[in-house]
Amino acid sequence: MNKRFALKLIAACAIAASATAGFAQEVIKIANIVELSGGGASAGTNFKNGVELAVKEINAAGGILGKKIQTTTNDTQSNPGVAKGLTQKAIDNDVFAIFGPVFSGSIMVSMAESRRAEVPNFTGGEAAGITEQGNPYVFRTSFTQASAMPKVARYISEQAKLKTIAIIYVNNDFGKGGLDALKKALANSPTKVVAEVSTDSGQVDFSAAVLKAKQSNADGVFAYSNEEESARILRELKKQGWTKPIIGETTLTGQKVIELAGDAANGAIAHVGLTVDAPQPAIRAFRAKFEKEYKYVSDHNGMKGYSGIYILKAAIEKTGKLDRKAVAATLHTLKVKAADQPGVLMDVSFDAKGDLDRESFMIEVKNGKQEVVSILPALGAGAAPAAAAAKK
Amino acid sequence: MNAIFNNKFATLFTVLGALLVLVAPQYLKNYGIYLLTYWLIFIIATMGLNLTIGYAGQKSLGHAAFFGIGAYTVAIMMKAGISFWLGLPAAALLCFAIGLILGFPALRVQTIYLAFATLGFNTAVWLVMRNEEWLTGGTFGINNIARPVIFGYSLEANRPYYYFVLAVTLVLAGLLWGLLRSPWGKAFKALRDNPIRAESLGVDIRNYTLLSFAIGAVYAGVAGALFASLVQFIEPAPFAVGASIMMYLMVVVGGAGYFLGPVIGAAVGVVLPEWLRDVPGVANWYLPLFGAAVVLLMIWLPDGLLSIPDRIKAKRAARAASAARTAAASRIGASS
Repeated sequence: MNKRFALKLIAACAIAASATAGFAQEVIKIANIVELSGGGASAGTNFKNGVELAVKEINAAGGILGKKIQTTTNDTQSNPGVAKGLTQKAIDNDVFAIFGPVFSGSIMVSMAESRRAEVPNFTGGEAAGITEQGNPYVFRTSFTQASAMPKVARYISEQAKLKTIAIIYVNNDFGKGGLDALKKALANSPTKVVAEVSTDSGQVDFSAAVLKAKQSNADGVFAYSNEEESARILRELKKQGWTKPIIGETTLTGQKVIELAGDAANGAIAHVGLTVDAPQPAIRAFRAKFEKEYKYVSDHNGMKGYSGIYILKAAIEKTGKLDRKAVAATLHTLKVKAADQPGVLMDVSFDAKGDLDRESFMIEVKNGKQEVVSILPALGAGAAPAAAAAKK
Repeated sequence: MNAIFNNKFATLFTVLGALLVLVAPQYLKNYGIYLLTYWLIFIIATMGLNLTIGYAGQKSLGHAAFFGIGAYTVAIMMKAGISFWLGLPAAALLCFAIGLILGFPALRVQTIYLAFATLGFNTAVWLVMRNEEWLTGGTFGINNIARPVIFGYSLEANRPYYYFVLAVTLVLAGLLWGLLRSPWGKAFKALRDNPIRAESLGVDIRNYTLLSFAIGAVYAGVAGALFASLVQFIEPAPFAVGASIMMYLMVVVGGAGYFLGPVIGAAVGVVLPEWLRDVPGVANWYLPLFGAAVVLLMIWLPDGLLSIPDRIKAKRAARAASAARTAAASRIGASS
C-alpha cells in the first residue's frame, strides 16, 4: 500500500513538473545563474541586476516579438559543481537563454550543458579559454583577457613608459589568466616584469604583498584581483606610501572598489571594456536608470548583464522567430549599432567564436570618480589604437 | 514491544528509501538526477568519515583532502589516457596509503589537537592542488573529464551514471555494514569508547587508529573519483578546509555512529539547501535559513537526527521507570 501511495505521489509530482513546461510558448524564459554568495557575490549581483533592469524595460515596451520575458535567478555559491546542476535545472525548465555564470571556472563547467541542450549562454567570464573550445552556444558580454591585456600592455610601455613593473594578482583562474596574458603582451616591449606577487581570493591582509612590490623597486604596479580584494590592495598601497603609478584592468577601478577604497582609489588607472562614466549618451542613460532602480551606481558587470539582454533581443528580432539554434547562428557575426538598439550601450560586433568587439576606455580615478582619459577603438576598427587614443 | 516498533519503522524506512533511490530517477529531469547523484557521492564520502569519527572516535577535519586526492587521481590518470576502471582502484589505494600516514599524528594527539593536525594536512594538500599547475592544472582546474564506459555501455548520460553511483554506494555500504559487524568493527567501537580499556582487552590501538583513518580515506577517495566524473571539471576549491568542515557537519547532523547517519546528513548538507531555493519566499534567504536550521538542530539534537528514535525510546523508558517507581512507592506506602 505504501508502494502504491509513493508511486502516486511521484506521478503527481511528475505531472506538476511537466505542466509548468507548457508555458514555454507564452513567455521567453531566461535563467540567471549567477554568484550571489561566495567570492563572486559582488560581480554576480551586479550582473543579475543589469539583466533584470533590461528585462523590465523590454517587457514594459511590449517584449520581444510581442512576447514577455520571464527571468529566474539562481545562486551558484561561486561553486562550479552547483553551477553545473543549476544549468541543468534551467535546461529542464526549457529556458530560451542562460545568463551567467560570471566566474570563469563556473562557466567552463556549465557551458558544456548549455551546448548539449543548444541553449544560447551569455557569460561575464573573461578567461580566454571560454570561447577557444569552439562552443557555438557561448557568447561573451565583455572582452577576453586575450584582447584586453594587449591594450593595457601598450599603455604601460608606450604611454606610461614604465621600465619595470610589479604585478599583484589573485591566484585563481581569472587572476592567473590575466597574468599570463599580460606577461605575453609585455614580452616584446621594453617593460620588464620584476615581481609577480600571488594573493588569494578572499585575502584580507595585503601588507606583505604590497611590501614585496615595493621592495622590487618597480616603476609601477599592476594590480589584478576581484572587486573587494582590489579595494584592499589600493588601501594598503596608500598606507605604505606608494606614489608610483597603479595600473589595472576593469576591476581595479570598479564602482564598488572606489566606494570601498575611498581616497586610496584616487590616481588608479585602468583599462575598462565598459564603464558607467563613459561619455556616450546610451551609457549615461543606463547609469541614471540603474541608480534610480537599485540606489547605487552599477559596475561593469551590471552593464554586461544589461547589454547582454539587449544583444539577445537584437538577435531574436533579426532572426524573426524564437528558435534557439537560429538565434545562436545569428549571434555569430552579429553587428548591433547603439543608434538602432540603445540598450546595447555601444556599437558591438560578434565574431565566429562568440567573442565581442567594441570600443574601450582608459580611465583614471579622480576625486572618487572614474574619468575617461582616452577611448580606445574596437580591435576590428582598423585604426591604430595608439593614434586614436588621443581622441577624447 | 519497542523492538517490534523499531523493526516496522526500519522496514518502512528501507522500503521507502529503496523506492526513492530506484524509482524516483525515472520521473526526474536532469537536475533532479544530478542532485541525487551528488547526494549519493556525499553519502559515500561521509560513510568513511562516519567510520573515522562516529565509530573510531578520531576527530578528523581533513576528509575533503582525500576527496580531492581521489578526484585528482582519476582526473589526471584519465587525462593521461588511462581507463577510469584503473583510476578508481588507484585512487582508493593512494588514499589508503595516505590515510595510514595521516593516522600517525592521531597516535600522539587526540580531540581538538588532532582536528588541527588534520586541518593542516588538508590545507597542505589544497596548496599542492592549487600551486602544482603542471600536474593539477592549478586554479584553472581540469576540464572535460569523461564519464566511464562499462562493458561497452556509456555512462555519459545522467541517468545511467546515477545508477552506477547508486550501485557503488550500495556495495560500499554493504562492505561497511560487514566491517562494523566483524571483530574489527567491535574493536573500532571499543577504541572510541575507552582506548585504555580496549588495549587492556588486547585491541592493538595503534593498528586500529591507523586503519580507521585509512579505511575512511578510501571511501572519500572513491567518492572523489565519482565526483570528478560527475561534475566533469575539478578545481581546488571544493576540496578546501571548508568542505571538510561541511562533511563533519553532515556526519554530526545525521548522527555520528549511526549507520544511516550519512544518508540523512548528506541529504541535509546537499539536498536541503537546494530544496530551500525553490520554496517560495525564502529563495533569497536559503543560505541563512540553512545555517539557522543547522544551529537549531545542534541545540536540540546534538547527537544528530537519527538519535530521535533513541530519544523517544529513552523518554518512554524513563516514563515507564518513573511510573513503576510511583507504583512501587504507593505500594510500599499502602503496606506500611
